Amino acid sequence: MSGSIFTRNRSVPIFIAALTLLALVVTILSEGYGTGALSVSFTKVLGMTLCLCLAALAMDLVWGYCGILSLGHFAFFGLGGYMIGMWLMTARTEAVVRANLGSAVIPPTEAEISTATALQIFSVVGAQDWPWMWAASGSLILSLLLVVLVPGALALVFGWLAFRSRVTGVYLSILTQAMTLALSLYLFQNDTGLRGNNGLSGLQNIPGLETVGQARISIWFFWASALALGLAYIAAAWMVSGKFGNIIRGIRDDEQRVRFLGYRVEGYKLFVFTLTGVLCGIAGALYYPQAGIINPDEIAPIASIYLAVWVAIGGRGRLYGAVIGAAVVSLLSTYFTGGRAPNIDFGFYEIDWVDWWPVLLGLGFVLVTLFAPKGLGGLVDYIVRKDRA
Amino acid sequence: MNTLLEVQGISVSFDGFRAINNLSFVIAEREMRAVIGPNGAGKTTFMDIVTGKTRPDAGTVRWGEVGTSLLSMSEAQIAQAGIGRKFQRPTVFEDQSVWDNLRLSLKKPRGPVAALMDRVTEADRDRIAVIAEEIGLSDALERMAGILSHGQKQWLEIGMLLAQDPKLLLVDEPAAGMTTEERTHTTALLKRLAENHAVVVVEHDMEFVRRLDCRVTVLHEGSVLAEGTLDHVMADQRVIDVYLGR
Repeated sequence: MSGSIFTRNRSVPIFIAALTLLALVVTILSEGYGTGALSVSFTKVLGMTLCLCLAALAMDLVWGYCGILSLGHFAFFGLGGYMIGMWLMTARTEAVVRANLGSAVIPPTEAEISTATALQIFSVVGAQDWPWMWAASGSLILSLLLVVLVPGALALVFGWLAFRSRVTGVYLSILTQAMTLALSLYLFQNDTGLRGNNGLSGLQNIPGLETVGQARISIWFFWASALALGLAYIAAAWMVSGKFGNIIRGIRDDEQRVRFLGYRVEGYKLFVFTLTGVLCGIAGALYYPQAGIINPDEIAPIASIYLAVWVAIGGRGRLYGAVIGAAVVSLLSTYFTGGRAPNIDFGFYEIDWVDWWPVLLGLGFVLVTLFAPKGLGGLVDYIVRKDRA
Repeated sequence: MNTLLEVQGISVSFDGFRAINNLSFVIAEREMRAVIGPNGAGKTTFMDIVTGKTRPDAGTVRWGEVGTSLLSMSEAQIAQAGIGRKFQRPTVFEDQSVWDNLRLSLKKPRGPVAALMDRVTEADRDRIAVIAEEIGLSDALERMAGILSHGQKQWLEIGMLLAQDPKLLLVDEPAAGMTTEERTHTTALLKRLAENHAVVVVEHDMEFVRRLDCRVTVLHEGSVLAEGTLDHVMADQRVIDVYLGR
């Protein structure tokens, strides 16, 4: 029980090595810095996949280790995206407006630029004034703070209310579904101030980097996503390898026993719930500039259920299982629903994979449950042990 | 001896059923007490009330020399104040090693940040070794708690109580499902514990209670029916009628 986290948890050095290797290979093959074998859009898909892995890692902490089956963590992911999205959209639109008005004979005032920017952003929902929630959108630093603070605050308040009333199990899962549904419906409204169902768009255009080009920006975001995932993995492995990990696993297995040992179970749950909410927020803030667009559909209840499915398929309570599950399932999903998989024509019926993907996912879920009850991560354990024997 | 726990006139009902009816109970420091009674006499509910799991409808529960009321405290606060509880069914963390089970029970700060920063000190190591010796699991420290035998799980749970260093141990049916040999071991263990702690043992088995050789409280329909030595209560006609005579 001594030494650094690299020696205590064997998966940490392997995971970091694999992630570094992946980053190297992607860089060498990228359009921005290498041979160009990987398209910009696929580089973005890979970067986005790493962000989803980060969210799955958080889900494993809260569900796999602490036993809280939250079906609302994607709400935090989306909020992180919205927080950075407001800055990206404001700064980008303002630059465009400035360029357009700059050619006028009389130079525009700052107030005029602000008004014109607001009109540009909000005319799509029939508004022209800045909503209050865009107050921090002029500052990158404030927006980055909000990426952490807003998902964190929502998780803290929601968790505090739920855990102090001792809501557990399926009731808590339903509450979290209600939370993400309510948030999504709220954002769908035009007068909420986040452009309703249009969402925020053009997020791939990073202000100040107009001349760099998407080829390089996509690699930068890939690196940032890999770095975030790597750091979060080390932090998560450190958290669960010590006494804290023993306690939250105890809460998962027998909450009452932990309570009678003198631990305030509610405090621990709130801690893990909030921390993982923040992690999801950070993941979302890295994801949406790569996706380019965010709208309220992203945080529909089904998104959070997918998050749980990834972790279940990957295998709970082993960290790398969640990462493997999220990577495999989301990449397959991109393959089958992105029009890449060729349709199969039987003459009398044509299998269109876009429609058949949910069936395939369901089938895969059943197969994993039947033949690999510990998930894909459990298979990895099995292979590693076989090699050693 | 000083009074450690004083329960006075507590009552509690569930959906109209009176589980505890005007029950009073006093235990002193370092006293061993056996609580017996037929099924439904309120033994487990009594423990639930003392440990904060159930709130009584009436009555007071006072703790320690100062007589702090336990009724406004949470389960965790009561446990921290020094009341440890062993459940009827052995409840240990089966997914974790014996060593980890004992480690997370050790009396140390209970907050999340303290747990994150916790380092195993030399003192912790010694303490775990002493407890493991006491409960006869020195050779099983690295083993997963889930693969221990039933008796060993019961001892591990008692060991976890010891690690908490409580003043009062509430022990629910420690000998249930044990072999004769395991029972002998458990009796010796509980008697040793009673040298430094107050111990309340809830038990069905009369033979086991006789071996504990301590004061006995008989519960019936949620209140105390008789109290005294085992021979004294066994001679009581009411006790014979409701419990022993069957």
